[in-house]
Amino acid sequence: MTTSTSAPVTAPSKTAVAARTKGLRKEYGSTVAVDRVDLELPEGAVLGMLGPNGSGKTTTIRMLLGLVRPTQGEIELLGRPLPEGAEQALPHVGALVEGPGFHPFLSGRENLVRCAAFEPLLPRKEIKQAVEDAIERVGLAQAAHRRYRGYSLGMKQRLGLAAALLVPRKLVVLDEPTNGLDPAGTREIRKIIGDLHAAGSTVLVSSHLLSEVEATCTHVAVLHRGTVVAQGELTELLQAGGSALQVITPDVETALSALRQAKISARPLGDGLRVELAGTSAPQVIETLVQGGARVFEATRWKTGLEELFARLTEAEEAERGMSAVDTLDGGRR
Amino acid sequence: MITRQFGSEVRWMLRRPRTLIGLFGLVLVPIIISFGIWTASDEGEGGGGPPGLGAILQGNGMVVPIFTLFLSLNLLLPLVASIWAADGLAGEAQHGTLRGLLVAPVSRVRLLFVKLFGLTAMSLFAVTLMAVVGIISGTAFLGNDGMMTLSGTTLSTAEGLVRIGLFILLVTFQMVAIGAVALAVSSATEHPLVVQAATMTTIIVFQVLGQFTSLDWLHPFLITTGFPGLIDVMRDPIPWEQIGDSTLLAGCYLLIGTGLAAIRLVTKDS
Repeated sequence: MTTSTSAPVTAPSKTAVAARTKGLRKEYGSTVAVDRVDLELPEGAVLGMLGPNGSGKTTTIRMLLGLVRPTQGEIELLGRPLPEGAEQALPHVGALVEGPGFHPFLSGRENLVRCAAFEPLLPRKEIKQAVEDAIERVGLAQAAHRRYRGYSLGMKQRLGLAAALLVPRKLVVLDEPTNGLDPAGTREIRKIIGDLHAAGSTVLVSSHLLSEVEATCTHVAVLHRGTVVAQGELTELLQAGGSALQVITPDVETALSALRQAKISARPLGDGLRVELAGTSAPQVIETLVQGGARVFEATRWKTGLEELFARLTEAEEAERGMSAVDTLDGGRR
Repeated sequence: MITRQFGSEVRWMLRRPRTLIGLFGLVLVPIIISFGIWTASDEGEGGGGPPGLGAILQGNGMVVPIFTLFLSLNLLLPLVASIWAADGLAGEAQHGTLRGLLVAPVSRVRLLFVKLFGLTAMSLFAVTLMAVVGIISGTAFLGNDGMMTLSGTTLSTAEGLVRIGLFILLVTFQMVAIGAVALAVSSATEHPLVVQAATMTTIIVFQVLGQFTSLDWLHPFLITTGFPGLIDVMRDPIPWEQIGDSTLLAGCYLLIGTGLAAIRLVTKDS
């Protein structure tokens, strides 16, 4: 699997899909916020949506929830086309979008009761219990009677999460859920996401915090400048990113010449070598080394962190753009 | 489901501190009017208020609620309606709660009806409250010997109450019509103050335009032109023509306001 900016990487999936977008585009006046977004959210997955600020994460999420009409493209949510099928699909979707929104003059509990009154799947008699359960789940029991006006950022975020979890959901969409939370709060959110995943719900988390995504997600989609530059299973993406082998050997010179003869590119690194796996495989490399007389103490697959992958995906395009700008400048001089 | 949403909406409006303060202010109006007339008639200087209406108020407490609502319809009640309409859509958008409702989901057309219902229920409540307080304070300060009409006849207390009831409905309808237009503005902005300013400016400008005889052709289209005609409920028998015209005009405002709000809301990005 390769990652490039012109052809977004898509892990082919034959499993059921909770949400899907095709050729999504949104213009605000003359600004293109989102363009050519083909997103696939497999059922039961925890998809981390990564991207720098202003990369179109929130706009994509708002279109996915029927809040914003796309200028172009199709959206399918829980098997229904949007916006026509919104009334059938949305009751099964819980969402925290663009920060929590509540009435400052009501207490946390009263705010949730108001949200619950508009939940189609919640029978009237169960409202009270559902509200208490949600409050308990996000750890707001102490503050539920206080006015929302006086809440800290973390408490507001928790209340927003509680509103998304009022009803058992098939899909939960969380836009920057850990904003303003302390480390303990972040851990709790991770645990809630884990619980949702274990219960079979599909989760979509957008974030610019890479560690958060790496810790909680099964799938990743990387957005940059309003388009998807890579998506797929987290492990696959990371492997595809790290196509190199770290070899620990005391016989660096012998190893290098052996590899050079076999036309495998490598360079000395630390206690050994870094071998590029382009056009070859790990067993082949080790065979070449051993036959060439180099002692191999240890060989590990070079594991790219999400951070490195992310940096490469978003900065590669940056460099490309920079180059083309230079090209046109040169052309102008000539 | 829809009754539950209606209930939640009215409860939410009643919980707002500004609603309670507003209602308290409205209730003061009939009390102040009763007291003013009472002190004026005590001094024997012919009473306050405009001639005609003010003169017959002495010793006639049943007229206080009508007089109160008639005066308030010019400025106070449109202001209150515009505040509720402003909080209903623009205010919710500003707090980010509109998104929550739409994702719940509430269909956008239904949401508009929930808002319109809240506006109607609260308007009816506010107007009725003013009328009831007016009856009580009017009776307390001025006494109650039945209702003297503008035609010179006197109605029994029961008949007077029916007239007051009719006036409550007519005034509420005017208020809802103004509120519906305010809702249309409210659906197009995130700033509640813009809605209030736009609505109140319109009402005041309409009243000023209504003063120019050279603009006669325009007057039938101004909702404020219909306000004075409503006082016909105080005549005996009631001449229905002006009341009918005013209500029809308000009905047009209601339809246009609701229609524009629906169109804007359905296509709105939030």
